[in-house]
Amino acid sequence: MKERNLDSSISQGQQGGFKKFLQKDLTPYLVFLIPMAFLCVFLFWPLVTTFLRAFMKSGNKFDIGALGVSGFKKFFTSALYQRSLKNSFIVGISVTVSSLLIGVPMGYFVARVKIPGKSLLLSLGILPVIMPSFIGAFSWIILLGRQGVLRYFFNIVLAPLGLELPPIYGMFGMIFCMSLTYYPFVFLLSHGAFSSANALLEDAGMLMGASRWRVLRTITFPLVIPSIGAAALLVFIRSIGNFGIPAIIGGDQYVLPTLIYFRVNGFWDLNGASSIAVVNVLITGAVLWFQKYVVSRREYETISASHVEIQQHKHPVLRIIAFLYCLVVLLVSLAPQIVIIVMSFFEKWQGLLPEGFTLANFSKIPKNSPKELLNSLYLSTVATLLTAILGSIIAYITERRKPKGAGILDMAVMAPFILPGTVVSVALLSAFSGKSAIPLGGTYTIIIIAYMVRRTPYVYRSVAASLTQLNPSLEEASTIAGAHWIYTFWRVSVPLILPGIISGSILTFSTLLQELSTTILLYGARTRTVPIQIYGAVADGKMGEASALSVILLIVVFAIVYATNKSKGRDLSAGLKM
Amino acid sequence: MSLDLNYRDVSKVFGAGGKNPVEALKKVSFTINPGELFCLLGPSGCGKTTLLRSTAGLESISSGQIFYGGRDMTSIPPFRRNIGMVFQSFALYPHMNIFENVAYGLRVRKTPEPEVRRKVTEVMELVGLTEELKRNPSPAGLSGGQQQRVAIARALVYDPDLLLLDEPLANLDAKLRRYMRAEIRRIQKATNITTIFVTHDQEEAMAVGDRLAVMRRGVVEQIGSSDELYNRPNSAFVANFIGKMNFFKAELTAWDGVEARAKLIGPNFELDVGKDRNHLPQGTAVGSRVLVGARPEQLSVSLRKGEGGMAGKVNIIQHLGQFVRYEVSVDSAISAQPFEVDMPGLVAGIAEGDDVYVTIKKGLASFYLPEEGQSE
Repeated sequence: MKERNLDSSISQGQQGGFKKFLQKDLTPYLVFLIPMAFLCVFLFWPLVTTFLRAFMKSGNKFDIGALGVSGFKKFFTSALYQRSLKNSFIVGISVTVSSLLIGVPMGYFVARVKIPGKSLLLSLGILPVIMPSFIGAFSWIILLGRQGVLRYFFNIVLAPLGLELPPIYGMFGMIFCMSLTYYPFVFLLSHGAFSSANALLEDAGMLMGASRWRVLRTITFPLVIPSIGAAALLVFIRSIGNFGIPAIIGGDQYVLPTLIYFRVNGFWDLNGASSIAVVNVLITGAVLWFQKYVVSRREYETISASHVEIQQHKHPVLRIIAFLYCLVVLLVSLAPQIVIIVMSFFEKWQGLLPEGFTLANFSKIPKNSPKELLNSLYLSTVATLLTAILGSIIAYITERRKPKGAGILDMAVMAPFILPGTVVSVALLSAFSGKSAIPLGGTYTIIIIAYMVRRTPYVYRSVAASLTQLNPSLEEASTIAGAHWIYTFWRVSVPLILPGIISGSILTFSTLLQELSTTILLYGARTRTVPIQIYGAVADGKMGEASALSVILLIVVFAIVYATNKSKGRDLSAGLKM
Repeated sequence: MSLDLNYRDVSKVFGAGGKNPVEALKKVSFTINPGELFCLLGPSGCGKTTLLRSTAGLESISSGQIFYGGRDMTSIPPFRRNIGMVFQSFALYPHMNIFENVAYGLRVRKTPEPEVRRKVTEVMELVGLTEELKRNPSPAGLSGGQQQRVAIARALVYDPDLLLLDEPLANLDAKLRRYMRAEIRRIQKATNITTIFVTHDQEEAMAVGDRLAVMRRGVVEQIGSSDELYNRPNSAFVANFIGKMNFFKAELTAWDGVEARAKLIGPNFELDVGKDRNHLPQGTAVGSRVLVGARPEQLSVSLRKGEGGMAGKVNIIQHLGQFVRYEVSVDSAISAQPFEVDMPGLVAGIAEGDDVYVTIKKGLASFYLPEEGQSE
């Protein structure tokens, strides 16, 4: 009886090729297609267009017949181009080095020295990255600009010596502001590495007779090098892509992102801008390659099964030095926000003290910038919701379904993470402006798409991080219990990765509210945002109005981040990693 | 109605076509009887977990077929197979209370609410968690053993055709492990669902299973009851995996196809072995190198050299309660590894470091073929 059963089912199996195909679950492939289609249309196509435009004669005409390298020739002929390229390199390298010099000691101190207020230091430490960097830049103008408060003060002191402090505009200003903006990457990542290192490894070194310094040099540092390397890479990429700081404080010194803006805004020369964008991306790519093949070779899998507390330094002198160091760094990097808040209540601040207390800066906002406020809110909200969905689905697919090509999908999603905002805008303009097949120039849609392309990595990484912590057997248990994978996704996966989705979305929303470098090339009269308004006010010298708007941004962003940090178990930093 | 489970030439290759394809299963064929509690036993990497996951459909097999009750399930997706599975990590949902955890499979099946309540209560009674169900905490509020019971209840609540247990006791401490394995056997017998229990612990497998399959390198080495595997292991590997087996190098001197005789190298002593204890393949040539196997309790130590006694030196004496274990090093020509000899009590006059003689008790030795690359 049993034998016959077996035989009949075997013959069924042989003739059931088509049935087998129908039984195969095709939904993952369909779901896989949606993000793929999005990335193809809004990332690959624009990038390809940009790449082609880079080889066309300057102007806006898309002429595939006349390819050449005239766009790149300018890097050899034009002094402006050459200086911008050189400046970008100098800024990138200097900011990386100074961020390391500021951030690594701070990370070590907070992780390894017994000092008070560590959790406060950590939560305030992330602020400079999350706060709008161009706001920092213009507040340093208030402090150290031509009529800057601190400059005024220093010049009184320095005058008897016959010295004068130059205004902050130019290379020094850019490097200074960017270092203070980006050192938190180094601080937070190295703090993470120093505090999560396996204490037993160091104890073992000590027991074998190594001094504290030798342990630090031969065990601790080699183990944290990969994290510090990753942070350095992040800082470099961010600093050569930053638009807001050089635009506000660069003075007559251009860098590649501002040069791109200059080409597009001044000449509507999309092809020329594309050439610069390609060079900008090439630099980033080269650095990324360097990190991948040189630095990450030294990565170790540190298995920390034990929960041994890391011994903290308790020497009083070291404790005082460490605490003062952290305090000074934090104060200097948060000074801009304080200055902005003060400035927002005064008419002008050109001497030692601000003059003319007023609330007019705020009361004028509803009249002067109602559209901008609504636009910022609308664009950020819509883009965040869509990004959250897109990023979560892609993360789930690449982490769990692992289809063929998951690696390509991962690379594609992460690509915008290293692309400067201005490059993304140029790419989208190249593909969708003017007489494009899909004309989107000046619409809300193009800004939302740009936001999505740029911020999907945040949600993606954040969700992927929570997925890797989620034991796959939880999902397998659901499958075994008879649930289709979509049911499993909603009932098991989503509730458990919700913290990841939320923190990724919060990071997305709070950074989109202050987005400048992408918006600046894409906005039209209808679609102006708050950061655009602030940028314009600074350019017009209306510091009071700019400050009041900035304060509103600061309050909103700070409130969101603070609320997130308050609710336990959410870690914003996952979305910032590569 | 319990189902039988039948594997036909099941093979699984990981990374097929890649640089280092790994053959996790090699043409595995055997049948598990309806209602049986069947153990898959083997060292890590032997393929037991792969076979279990393939049975569940979580892993797709490269070739071969798997039948439940005569139905070919090979290409059926896991969520349509109606099986219950308990994971090593228990995989309880932290975002649901224990009632919802257990009810999960019923909710998937859109079972009406009163039925859900009835079935969950019933199954929680079966696994002995009636009190906990009243409190209904989240899984984190339970002890390891209780979480284990919830995991079992969750797998049983929708009357699966098959219950799969993947190293279910590995996350429990030693004492609880011994208790829970008896519980699992009780629950399995009460439900009479055909069950596969994967473990690397031979003691656990022998205690739990109706029958056991010993696997190694993707191949089933032997299937049988605990008693069969312990008393009549058919290979040197199984012999030494199920309990301890001491091996002596020997040379085959005579074999008529039923009875065999071998001469121990060293003491020049000849042993005869009958059909039951002779595991040499047909046609093993006289003069071949063979292994004579004896379990620790099938050996004895003494200060006097009896018939066939092999000279050795006592390394360690361990008093293990019911018996005393003597670890004795012998001439490396006989065995590179020291022997373990279990005596019912301390032997008067023997201390660590003493010279002694080891003898195989009459009629208890077995013959095996040495394995390639194995240091006996």
